[in-house]
Amino acid sequence: MEKAEKEAIRRVVAGDRDAYRVLMDRHYAAVFRISFRITGNEADAEEAAQESFLRAYNKLPEFRQDAAFGTWVTRIAMNTAMNLVERRNRDLSVYAPRVSDEVGEGTVQVASHRAGPERALLDMETATLRHAAMASLTPMERTAFTLRHMEEVGMAEIAEALGVPVNSAKQAVFRAVAKLRRALEPVAGGMR
Amino acid sequence: MKHYSEEDLIAYQMGESSEARSIGEHLEQCAECATLAESVAQTLRVFSAEPVPMRTPIDMDLSWQRLRGNLAVLEAAPKKKRRWFSLWMWPAAGAFAAAVIMVAVGLRMHHMPNTGGAQETATQRASVTDALKSLVGRHQQAHPINGHGPLTDVPSDDPQISAHLDSAERLLTTVNHEEGPLDEATRAQAHDLLLKNAVYTQTARDRGDLAEAVVLDNLGRVLIGLDHAPETPKSTWQLRLEMNTDGLLLDLRVLRQNDEHGSSR
Repeated sequence: MEKAEKEAIRRVVAGDRDAYRVLMDRHYAAVFRISFRITGNEADAEEAAQESFLRAYNKLPEFRQDAAFGTWVTRIAMNTAMNLVERRNRDLSVYAPRVSDEVGEGTVQVASHRAGPERALLDMETATLRHAAMASLTPMERTAFTLRHMEEVGMAEIAEALGVPVNSAKQAVFRAVAKLRRALEPVAGGMR
Repeated sequence: MKHYSEEDLIAYQMGESSEARSIGEHLEQCAECATLAESVAQTLRVFSAEPVPMRTPIDMDLSWQRLRGNLAVLEAAPKKKRRWFSLWMWPAAGAFAAAVIMVAVGLRMHHMPNTGGAQETATQRASVTDALKSLVGRHQQAHPINGHGPLTDVPSDDPQISAHLDSAERLLTTVNHEEGPLDEATRAQAHDLLLKNAVYTQTARDRGDLAEAVVLDNLGRVLIGLDHAPETPKSTWQLRLEMNTDGLLLDLRVLRQNDEHGSSR
């Protein structure tokens, strides 16, 4: 770990809250990115990132400095984001409007500025389908799949972060792909 | 012709297969598997990475202000002394407890009236069994039906229970691996799981799935412990020791794997 980070941790633990900004500036982008991949929307990603940095802060006195702070806080973020997805799934009254919000945002990201109404409609349908399919995964499957497929994190690292054997992480990814493939069947024209 | 399973083809398309070469050769000859492999590839393309929204310096400032408002001033923990104490105390305490039990068993056998060879042997065997039972501890007592784990390979067919088992496994793993008192978020998660667990336990009982009900019941006891754990470092250590969650984690994994295999059938 870098000297500047070690020094920041030493100061935080000694009671200087503002020294934590150094660590946040360096690692917030990575934590937000992972959180966004897992939660699938910006508001929840921000919430998960905030919670992760808060949890890391409260555990800083016990943090062993032989590990990298960035790796540690990113692992906390994976679990925090996964738990947030779970809470959202449980509380359908909160989750439902978020999906429609999210679809609106997704459409803006995917559609080109010159796209006609038909293309925009198709993009919206695709985005809706994608979100519905992702929502059908368990938090573990969703996390393992997004980290492996979208962030290209290795299976061993995913397994370690989630606290499961490598084979379980692998199975979660494969199960996720199988479920997503089945969810696409109706629009893909009878894929086997 | 031998066909590859969907899982094999997913592993192949994701670059995780150990038989990539033979699968590649097979796909050139087998239209059925090639169609399935292409369907998997298409799925992966559809779910390729979306752009992540950028965080501007203004966003970062806002995030920091929001976070800073929640940060309490920390005090350095007396870490080294406690760790030394923790590392040496528990094995020593365990060895001491085992020694006391063995001496107690020995004394009991020594003071037992000599009423004949066969009866003495049977009594001694019972004493040793009792002592061993007490050493094995709470986990065994929590499985009056199954003994060593959930003797079932029947999937629950309920995605909510699968997700519940997932969460419970992750929570217990976190609690087992972390040091110090439990934080608020962990307690809140234990509380949430505890409420859901009661419902799932009852559902399993109603369904007649006693193996799953016993594991969930045991999980419930652990979650009650977590939910009501006092906040001192020592008491949390004691809690982790008492939970003996290794066995419970294994049971949860078996149940979860049943669900995994069930959904892939």
